[in-house]
Amino acid sequence: MSDVVSFGIHAALLVLIVLMLPCVYRLWVGPSAADRLQVIDTITTLLIGIIVVLAVIRGDVMFVDIAIALAAFAFIGTLALARFISEKRTF
Amino acid sequence: MEIIGLVALWIGIGFCAIGILGLVRLPDIYTRLHASGKVSTVGLCSLLLGAAILMPSTTLKVIALALFALLTLPVSTHAIALAGYRSGIRMRGFSRDDMAIGFRVVESIETIEMKEEASAA
Repeated sequence: MSDVVSFGIHAALLVLIVLMLPCVYRLWVGPSAADRLQVIDTITTLLIGIIVVLAVIRGDVMFVDIAIALAAFAFIGTLALARFISEKRTF
Repeated sequence: MEIIGLVALWIGIGFCAIGILGLVRLPDIYTRLHASGKVSTVGLCSLLLGAAILMPSTTLKVIALALFALLTLPVSTHAIALAGYRSGIRMRGFSRDDMAIGFRVVESIETIEMKEEASAA
């Protein structure tokens, strides 16, 4: 990889990490439980992006598997928590 | 070719940044969900496209991840919106609630069915 591309990928990783800070602000302020659940969903999406960029930086295919597993668990967890919030009970 | 991948990666990051700006600035949960839906579909998929171009050995796995994200993340967005509605959040600035009519119909049908079951038992 050339220097420009390497710098661009590292800067992308840094920007993705910094983008989580406004999400944490909304997590702190957010008036209801649904707001916080939405922020957690967004943070998980950013984490998937961070892991994929890390896979490109390290040149390791295994990181993408971790990202797939994280996406699957985030989907199930978000659905379960949304049902818990809307009906005030788990099952 | 690597420059194209880098451009796609940064387009994805730009969409993520705009979506998160909306997540911080917009007034109520439904508009914020509209903003964060952009992060989860357009932003993530463009970022994954850039990663697939930059690292050709992972292309199949990254495409699988993008398809999975396109299938599941809008579903979780809708689930969060329905959870917010059912927990009593109303949209700011609107006086009419069209969805409540549908909910009332569904609830009355359910109560009628419950009464029929109780009378049959």
